[in-house]
Amino acid sequence: MVAERDLPLRNGSASSSGSDSSSSASGEGEWLDADQDDEQEAVAVISLLDDAVFPDALSMIAHCKDKYGFDFLAVRERLQLDFHGTVKLINFVRQRVHEGAEVPAEISQADLEDDRYLKPVLDDDALILCLDDLPETGAAAAAASASASGLPSSGVDASLDVELKKSTAELQAELEQLTKQFTNYRLAVQKTLDERWQANDEPDDVPGAKGGEAKDDSAYYFESYAHNDIHEIMIKDAVRTDAYRDFIYGNKHLFAGKVVLDIGCGTGILSMFCARAGAKQVIAVDNSDILNKARENIFNNGLADVITCLKGRIEDVVLPVAKVDIIVSEWMGYCLLYEAMLPSILFARDRYLQPVTGLLVPSHANIWIAPVSDQEYVADHISWWRDVYGFDMKAMQSDIYTDARPQVLPAQSICGSPSAFRFLDLHTVRNEDLVFEAPWQTTLAQSADSLDGFLVWFDMFFSTKRDDPSIKPDSTAQAWAAAPPAPSDGERVAFTTGPFGTETHWRQGLLLLDTNKVKPVVELAGKVITGDIAFITADNHARGVDLKVTWGTDEDSKQTQKWQLH
Amino acid sequence: MVRTHPVEARVCTALHRGVFVPLLTSSFSRNQGIHEEMLKDEVRTRSYMNAIVQNKHLFKDKIVLDVGCGTGILSMFAVKAGAKHVIGVDMSTIIFKAREIAKVNGLDDKITFIQGKMEEIEIPFPKVDIIISEWMGYFLLYESMLDTVLYARDRYLEKDGLIFPDKATIFVAGIEDGDYKDEKIGFWDNVYGFNYSPLKETALSEPLVDTVEIKAVVTDPANVLTLDLYTCTTEDLAFSCPFDLVSRRDDFIHALVAWFDIEFTACHKPVRFSTGPHTKYTHWKQTVFYLKDVLTVQQGEKVECSLHNRPNEKNKRDLDIKIQYRLETQDPTRQAEGQCLYKMC
Repeated sequence: MVAERDLPLRNGSASSSGSDSSSSASGEGEWLDADQDDEQEAVAVISLLDDAVFPDALSMIAHCKDKYGFDFLAVRERLQLDFHGTVKLINFVRQRVHEGAEVPAEISQADLEDDRYLKPVLDDDALILCLDDLPETGAAAAAASASASGLPSSGVDASLDVELKKSTAELQAELEQLTKQFTNYRLAVQKTLDERWQANDEPDDVPGAKGGEAKDDSAYYFESYAHNDIHEIMIKDAVRTDAYRDFIYGNKHLFAGKVVLDIGCGTGILSMFCARAGAKQVIAVDNSDILNKARENIFNNGLADVITCLKGRIEDVVLPVAKVDIIVSEWMGYCLLYEAMLPSILFARDRYLQPVTGLLVPSHANIWIAPVSDQEYVADHISWWRDVYGFDMKAMQSDIYTDARPQVLPAQSICGSPSAFRFLDLHTVRNEDLVFEAPWQTTLAQSADSLDGFLVWFDMFFSTKRDDPSIKPDSTAQAWAAAPPAPSDGERVAFTTGPFGTETHWRQGLLLLDTNKVKPVVELAGKVITGDIAFITADNHARGVDLKVTWGTDEDSKQTQKWQLH
Repeated sequence: MVRTHPVEARVCTALHRGVFVPLLTSSFSRNQGIHEEMLKDEVRTRSYMNAIVQNKHLFKDKIVLDVGCGTGILSMFAVKAGAKHVIGVDMSTIIFKAREIAKVNGLDDKITFIQGKMEEIEIPFPKVDIIISEWMGYFLLYESMLDTVLYARDRYLEKDGLIFPDKATIFVAGIEDGDYKDEKIGFWDNVYGFNYSPLKETALSEPLVDTVEIKAVVTDPANVLTLDLYTCTTEDLAFSCPFDLVSRRDDFIHALVAWFDIEFTACHKPVRFSTGPHTKYTHWKQTVFYLKDVLTVQQGEKVECSLHNRPNEKNKRDLDIKIQYRLETQDPTRQAEGQCLYKMC
């Protein structure tokens, strides 16, 4: 639909009459007031019959009349439509156009019977918001003057009068109901518009607008999250989504009445969990176009009065509150730190999270490394290049050793004890802690017959407390989640992305040893290997990570290899 | 040729049943991953090998142009078949690997690899005798390099030159796919207790690249596009085709499935392969278009359909596809008619 808005939507909130809804206005009073101070209002009315956009409803109506011979006001007059009738007319026409069906020359009352036309077809239909600005119909004007003068209907049969009163009462009840629904909708639309003008302050990178404009990494990053599939993959990753759900629904006492910030909200699932768990207000932030879907989802689930959607980078958006009680986010990338989204979470933590009581969900993470022996994998993906339809393609092998491979390996390919080399307490970790070098150590299994590489994965912990001494740097998700918590600690949740748990969409990071360069470790069984592992910011890729591993036995000198995750 | 260019490598259509794809395409999946997948697609690679190596009489002493050469495997086949010289062109940095590979195999004096866009480079021969290319994308045309091949044909191919392959055909059939439609489309009705219907509409409008079992196919296939690479033009890539699907049995139709066949008719013994549900897996799989309605069909009944395809005006690599369908039956309760719009992006 007409998503590309070049028009400035600055102060798009059409009229202030819809903002007096009782429940949600309180927490964001400042914010709404700030918008409404400026009386000048600009709206973008999308044409009923094509994609043209107009600054007001009347010029749009004139356009439809001139170009297509469709006289909106005449139809309204002919059918004597009231406010809701007019809304239905708009949505009827929009629905037909949306479906590519013809708009009937003579629209009849019967066409507008269906109540589904009360539901807006366009998400933020400025035309509906502008309805008050249109000239009144004869009927509306007459009704208005009649009710104003309060003239009693004279000469009407008494029983009919009772009937009429009854039906009037019913109609009034229905009207009230509809008005309420509409107010809620209007509020949602208004918020949307408010948010849009905030987002529009940023220089927009419209893909394909002029051509030849190089996209920066960051635009590509956010764009890659604009499609359905990636969200389907994430939501259907039950290890991931169940963990957030179980923690949020299992600890409703933590969320009840609280203000929650969801960073990188995607389709809005975590925000909606929080809202259902009783949060007073949830602020959902995402810089990808998926946010438009999140808005719809939130509205369709009746949570628009609790959840506020903001489009933009968390570093740039203006939150309607000074502090939040909880930050919930699913920021983890391959090998935990690929994608480099964690610094945004830390920024928000330092800027917005209540300093003493605020909680991060999840709260802790640790990263693991283990030695790998998997000759079958090596044969399928490395040796294979030596004879491709009779040709030697060993040239293709060099990248195999320079890139970390996102791969799921079976547990039996782990040939030594896993080593937890980095522990992140998310409440205290700093940006500079994300680039590090840490020691690691493994004892090879008796059955180890080759050392083909290393596997890196992470475990996530969701604690109900900021300081939770029960989570140790080398705690595994499985063991910690299984241990009974103190009764006061509520529901504890944790998950692993490692080879000993259910497969997740993060898979693991496979670092293959370059057999052309490194010296094989011999007589592996039972040997202890020690070394270091470093996470280094990639030189030429803003969201990438380089991993450097050093390893060796006591008697051998240490060897080093570097992999990139770009 | 499915997405060799890093910038275009997007997650969008890469989803398969039960297989996770990367969050962000990492450089691994952009580089070796794709070439490994394509080379390991035996139907594809073996067909090209047979078409080239079994026709030495056609390749002997000829000048050959390999459009979108990737790792250079087709160029090397052409040398094995006796070509005098081969020019491999690819805009990706994979060309450096192709050079190394040709050298390791002692073929570097017979192959010249050029990095760049076909339309912008100069090749060291005024004309070529044969063009070989593996240009096909999902649904044949999505992100395909056909326009580049046609450019090379018009610019470089000798009057009686050959194109390998030279014929491509798209087929469509109706399938029963209730369970998976539920899982894929119905999923959005209830996501952890929430209504996600906005994403359902998007899901319906995105054709799904996936494998379809032959037993799911309810109707005879219908041909919707035949391309003769000697004569077709880029205008032919926007097409409209009416077709009938005749039901083979009493069943339901939830979706249409599309696939393509490829032929090398210049071969002494013609070589062809299909990417359809009736034959071996290829990395192109098939493309599934879910319908809004479920059609209830009886054996012998006919669904009148039409398929319209055109490159998206804003982004020529995306496809806008419209499918119309109409089931005319004696039984008015089963009559159905509708149209769906799809976007491959």
